[in-house]
Amino acid sequence: MKHTSIDAIVKTVRVPLPQSEAFALFTARMSSWWPLDTHSVGKADAVDVAFPAQVGGEIVERLRDGGSSVWGTVTRWDPPAGVAFTWHPGGSPDEATSVDVGFEPDDGGTVVRLTHDGWVRRGDGDAARPGYDTGWDLVLGRFTAAA
Amino acid sequence: MEAYQVLNALGDPTRRRIIELLGDRPHAVGELAERLPVSRPAVSQHLRVLAESGLVARESVGTRNVYRLDDPGVDALRSWLDGFWTTALTRFAGQAEQESRSPS
Repeated sequence: MKHTSIDAIVKTVRVPLPQSEAFALFTARMSSWWPLDTHSVGKADAVDVAFPAQVGGEIVERLRDGGSSVWGTVTRWDPPAGVAFTWHPGGSPDEATSVDVGFEPDDGGTVVRLTHDGWVRRGDGDAARPGYDTGWDLVLGRFTAAA
Repeated sequence: MEAYQVLNALGDPTRRRIIELLGDRPHAVGELAERLPVSRPAVSQHLRVLAESGLVARESVGTRNVYRLDDPGVDALRSWLDGFWTTALTRFAGQAEQESRSPS
């Protein structure tokens, strides 16, 4: 099949925690599981990541030297059902893609569904704005899983 | 196709804009040049880089040559992103497993 566009990445994982605990682990306690050593701007110099509990709050990676790096901004805060945020680690907010994470109760556990979209803005509306850019900086080596 | 080639090819705003335009529909070189703030030879050069990374391909439509998005580069990019989130979510699930076994 020929690609005509770049579709959203959708990942689903089931965890054995109640919905509210799964939501809290993903957000408030992101530092306890996020693979900072590979998935961060500072890599070995990354200390932790703070996930804000409100729309408009910034997801911030803190660095050993006291500096920090903003990964994105929360755009939907709907605990424990879901959270969404812009995503531009190592890049500018103008270049953000978008991530949406849903938490659905499932027989005592929770199904977490992550959708990462916004690679390519379609049409000429937003894309025609001067200085507007897309989210490719995410993938430009400043934030790569495999160096 | 290696992901790093694709990522390098996308490390340029004009090339990303070309990918956006081709995401809407295939375009001829001239059409791309009209919509971008760069010369036609520059567009051709960008297209060459994108083609080498497997992101775009040229095809003939009637008497015209048009460029479209191509599978190998797009697949490499998607598979890289897929791996990125797989790693993150595997760590998330691992931590959740651990906490479910030893509730604090």
